[in-house]
Parts: sequence; structure tokens; C-alpha cells
Amino acid sequence: MRVYFRYAIKETLSNLWRNRMMTVAAVLTVAVSLSLVGAALLLKQSAAQASAQWQQGTRVTVWMQPTVSPSEIASVQSQLSNLPIVKQCVYYSQLQDYNEALKLLPQSESSVLKVSDMPSSFRCVPTVPSNAFVVESTFANQPGVYKVTAPEQQIREMNRAIRVLQIVFLALAGVLLLSATVLILNTIRMAIFARRREVSVMKLVGATNWFIRVPYITEGFVQGLLGSLVAILAVTALHTWYPLHNEFRLNTSALLGTNAVVLAVGVVIGSVGSAIAIRRFLDV
Amino acid sequence: MIRFEHVSKTYKNGTLALKDVTLDIEKGEFVFLVGASGSGKTTFLRLLLREELPDQGRILEAGRDIGEISKWRVPYLRRNIGCVFQDFRLLPNKTVFENVAFALEVIGRPRSTVDSQVPQILELVGLADKSKNLPGELSGGEQQRVAVARAFVNRPLILLADEPTGNLDPTNSETIMALLERINRTGTTVVMATHDKVLVDRMRRRVIELDKGEMIRDQVRGVYGVDKAAGSF
Repeated sequence: MRVYFRYAIKETLSNLWRNRMMTVAAVLTVAVSLSLVGAALLLKQSAAQASAQWQQGTRVTVWMQPTVSPSEIASVQSQLSNLPIVKQCVYYSQLQDYNEALKLLPQSESSVLKVSDMPSSFRCVPTVPSNAFVVESTFANQPGVYKVTAPEQQIREMNRAIRVLQIVFLALAGVLLLSATVLILNTIRMAIFARRREVSVMKLVGATNWFIRVPYITEGFVQGLLGSLVAILAVTALHTWYPLHNEFRLNTSALLGTNAVVLAVGVVIGSVGSAIAIRRFLDV
Repeated sequence: MIRFEHVSKTYKNGTLALKDVTLDIEKGEFVFLVGASGSGKTTFLRLLLREELPDQGRILEAGRDIGEISKWRVPYLRRNIGCVFQDFRLLPNKTVFENVAFALEVIGRPRSTVDSQVPQILELVGLADKSKNLPGELSGGEQQRVAVARAFVNRPLILLADEPTGNLDPTNSETIMALLERINRTGTTVVMATHDKVLVDRMRRRVIELDKGEMIRDQVRGVYGVDKAAGSF
């Protein structure tokens, strides 16, 4: 067995070195495609995490006209408190909204605001996030109401955009993974061709089929492995350095999970590529 | 050692290669296989190696029907059969030593076996001093001796030779024949397909002649070509 391992490792390394240009091409293609896969996975997880966080605090804000009369405010308030789908409501006066705007807006914009321009508002938490729409449709046309906003809508739109982006990433990655498999298949085929004399002698003197095959399988395996390691570096770098809002920031275990998927896909690609090459070109 | 029972082989393209061949080769025999090109000599050897299976009949080697051997066991069958070809089939980028060692390494023999067996066999074929040379630096006769060493290093029961002297001058042919004879004396069964009339006539060993796939002559102490009426029995 020891003899065998040494032989297989030696053969694999010398095959990789002999075909180094093809090997580099195959490894890079695997790396690029797997980076896309990893990025798509990260994106999906980030989006899911962020929207979950937002939905938890989803509020419906009923903005009142700045010129609203106190009776209209009272009417809206009593209706809101009678609505069973609304858990709780807090009234923000014009001054409170003004102070909030000062915090949120850049100074160039907030400096032109006046308290009297600001709408007052009811910040409500619906029992279920999707009930935000009901609140919106009920109050949008009430007298004194300026408009009703619910972040649910924006979350959905953002999620849709992210989903499209993700599909594009995965489609690109799929095409690249296919070409990576073909490239690996081709390098193995060239390695087999370069070694056809050895292979025929091996068959002649009675080397077993697996003895002949294993170096080529490990060659494809190593190419897939190297490609996925490069991809893991890229994905980790993306995770570490790409500036994101806190809601999008994933924890380390999500990164590890993504990298595990990238590694597994790389190894499978390499093995499948070489398995096909062996079936088709290594007649033992 | 080798028994053919009514063996016929037709290739997929319709070529009839062997037709109803029945014969016995005893352990330790030296057999010449003669006949024109296309008479079925190479098919005969390929069947022995189980590179092909017969359409009809069966082939026994060492008492075992080789048609019954499962595909994955075939390599183990081949470890008992050494092979030498007209074109040597050496690996040009390996030294003489490595070429011979390769045959042992790829069947998983440990380093210690390789290191003891290879010098011994190179001594036998008279190439101990060329063990570090590449095949390209050797003469044709020397290359064929390396091939014989590779075929015999694993001490097979049977040695098959497909026109081993076909590319060699008479002097080198004699050397190879002497070597095969010597190997035969160790008890190894040798089957040699050849066109070399001079060698066959001088050796006076068993001769099997094939013609268009049929065995037309099986003669102990035979010669290459005989008067068909006089020689066959």
C-alpha cells in the first residue's frame, strides 16, 4: 500500500507539472466560477438575514399633514387603537419628527427644515408584518393623513432585486462550472495521452485498473481542490472587506458554511471531470 | 499449461482470425507459431492475454478457463504472462533499470524486491553495465534484451513473444533466441510467433503453423516451412 501511495502521488504531481498551463487554466476557471457561487450564496444569506431583521421591527408609519387639525389626529388615533391588527402605536409630535430628521438627514438638507414643515406621525407595529398593507390601505385616504409608509414594500423590492442578481450569478457560475469541468476533463485527457505508452505497458504487465486510474482521478481532484481554495480566499476576502451595513453582515459560521459548499462543489467538479475523461479515454 | 478447445474468433468487421483451433501446450514447452501475415498468430497471442475473448470454444491456462475470469481479475492473469514485441515497447524517458523496475512497481512490489530483482535480471540478459542508460542510447538488440528482462522479471509462467527478432540483424536475433532458450530452461513456457525461417529451422522445436485462421500443422522438432505432404501429422 505504501508503494502504491508513493507512486500515485508522484504520478499526480508529475502530471500536474507536465500539463501546468492547462492546469492553471482549469484551476482559475474553477476558482472564478466558485467565487461567483460563493458570492451568490453570501448575497442570499445576507439578504435573508437583513430582511428578517427589518421585518421584526416592521412598522407602519402614518404621516399626518403638517397642517392637520387636532380632531383629525384624535380620530386617526382612536381608529388605530381600535384596529385589532395593530399591536401598538406611538404618536410622534412634529418636534419629535423634526429631531429625528435632524439625525437622519445630512446637515445640508436638515438645515432648511423647520418644525412647522414637519409632519407628525403615528409609529405603529402591526401584529404580523404583512398586515402593514392593511393599515396602509385603510389610512392612506383619511382626512389629515399625508401618506402611509411601510418598509415591507421596500424590503420586497430589494429582495426581488437581490434574487435577480443571485440568479444571474448562479447562471454565470453554472456556465463557468461547466467549462471548468470540460477543462479538467481535457487536462486529464492530455495527461492520459502523454502517458499512453506507460499505460499500455502497465496493462501488459498486469497493473490493476485502479492502479492505472487513480493518478488521473487525483489529478482532477487536486485541480478542483486548488480552484476551490482560491475561491474560498476570494469569498473570505469579499466577506471581510466589502463594506456592508450591519444588517447585511454575516457571522463567521455563515462564511464557513459557504466555504464548505464551495469546497465540496470544487472537489466534485474535479472528480467528475476526471471520471468522465477516464471512462472515455483510458481504456483499461 | 495452455489448452485451446475448438477456439474460433471472428472480429467485428467480419475478419476470420481463428477457426476451430484445438491444441495443448505443456508446461516448459518452447513453441514456434508460424504462418503468413494475417494467419492469426497475433490473435492467438491476444487471446492468451485475454485482450480478446473467443467466439466459440474455450481457452485454459494453468487449468483455468480464462473466459470465466472476471474483468477485474484479468490483470492478475497477466502477471503470469510475460510479453515481448517486435517494437520493444520500452519507455523512452526511463533508464534501462527504471524500465524493468516499472513492471514490478506497477504491480505493487515493494522497493526491496525491485532493488534485488532488477539487477539480477539485468545480469541475466547481460546489460548490468547499461542499467543507467536510456533506451535510445542502446542498439536494437540491447533494447530487445531490456524488453525480455522486463517481461521475465516477475518470473511469469508463460512468455509470449510476437516476432521478437523481426527488427534485428541475425547476430542480435541469435542473442535473443539464446536468451529465450535460457528462460525456457527455467521451466517457463515460451510461445514465439515468428517469420524467421533460419531460427526455426536451426532450433528444431515444436512448430504450429496457422493459415487463414486454421491450424494446418503441429509438429514436434519442426522446421519453418515443410513440404505439406511430408511434414504434418
